[in-house]
Amino acid sequence: MSELVRLTDITKVYQGGVTGALNGVSLAIEEGEFTAIMGPSGSGKSTLLNLVAGLDRPSSGSVTVAGSDLGRLSETGLARFRRDRIGFVFQFFHLLPNLTALENVLIPAQLRSRVSAASAGRALMSRLGIGEVADRYPSRLSGGQQQRVAVARALINQPKLLLADEPTGALDTKSGDQVMALFAELHQEGQTIVLVTHDPKLATRCAARVISMLDGRVIDDARLETTERKPADVIRVRSEEPSR
Amino acid sequence: MSLKYGVLGLLAEEPLHGYEVKNRFEAMLGGTWEVNIGQVYTTLQRLERDGLVRPVGSRGDRGKLLYELLEPGRTALNAWLSAPDQGPQRLHEEFYVKLLLATRLANGDLGPLLARQKRAYLQLLRDLNQLEDRAKRDGRNDLARLVRGALLHTEADIKWIDELSEKNGGGSRDTK
Repeated sequence: MSELVRLTDITKVYQGGVTGALNGVSLAIEEGEFTAIMGPSGSGKSTLLNLVAGLDRPSSGSVTVAGSDLGRLSETGLARFRRDRIGFVFQFFHLLPNLTALENVLIPAQLRSRVSAASAGRALMSRLGIGEVADRYPSRLSGGQQQRVAVARALINQPKLLLADEPTGALDTKSGDQVMALFAELHQEGQTIVLVTHDPKLATRCAARVISMLDGRVIDDARLETTERKPADVIRVRSEEPSR
Repeated sequence: MSLKYGVLGLLAEEPLHGYEVKNRFEAMLGGTWEVNIGQVYTTLQRLERDGLVRPVGSRGDRGKLLYELLEPGRTALNAWLSAPDQGPQRLHEEFYVKLLLATRLANGDLGPLLARQKRAYLQLLRDLNQLEDRAKRDGRNDLARLVRGALLHTEADIKWIDELSEKNGGGSRDTK
């Protein structure tokens, strides 16, 4: 595996408040990893994700993604980097209401070239189980379908890195499970994913690496065992009382 | 104590041999509780002594001896089933004692202890997630319910660690 992301001594200072600020974060992410970043609100996890996505710049320190030092890129260069390298899934989908699902999916492809990507878009949507709603408008889709459209939009340019900020936060449990199952499948196929969540169950469901943040710092970076264990090694349903 | 009532409950369905009791009990619990056959026979003998079950057939071949539930056994089982579990809250007492001692001995810096414990809980949560997925895949919704309970308890443990970490001032990076 090769390194895809490297953050070195990142700080992020916000004028007038400390919420979401970063205070000396360094970490690296390998290609093919599924990493969860966990922490309470205001711990800096979303700020970190936005820096990796090139949506924001750090106050100090450097961010390198897929060989590009983001600090050296102009605004245009950064926009191109986001378009070609990054897929981003937000909590509230951020679909354009006046475009159909398919048209939403195709936006990043159209920003890249004038060649129609419609057939690729439809194929991708079928794979994600939303083929039959491709021509509907977002308001006619369920939350789970809207989020899958957003995932398709994030993947249409085959990004090196898929970033997701609380992607199930606005979904019911079942739709959330489906979105997470989709992420697990993408990861199996080799997609590098960074998931931001405050939910430990979600974090450990797919990710084998869990980075915990608090007050703008990384307080733990855990790599979990992925081998399946015997039920009796995971749950013990046994009263300790001796039977009489 | 639940082994005793587990045995009574299984015999309430139909008369069983000791080995069938063991196998059905373990299958019911989805492998989360392994009992040895000796325990099962001891339990059956105690139940017989107390007049709750009785052997059917001859005593000659122990392995083949069937046991059936008697009326007092059914009464005892129903009373147990209808009573709430009123035991005390069970904590991971070992971690709690470590926490108390570390507070005294480590000048109150609990960071490394909390970070290591959180890792252990995250690993457990991951294992439980896998177990839940497997149970659902196998159509074992009864087992999935048990795992769900364990998941919620583990999430509570993590929440507790997070609260302790916040009070401890953000924990420590030294977790190796």
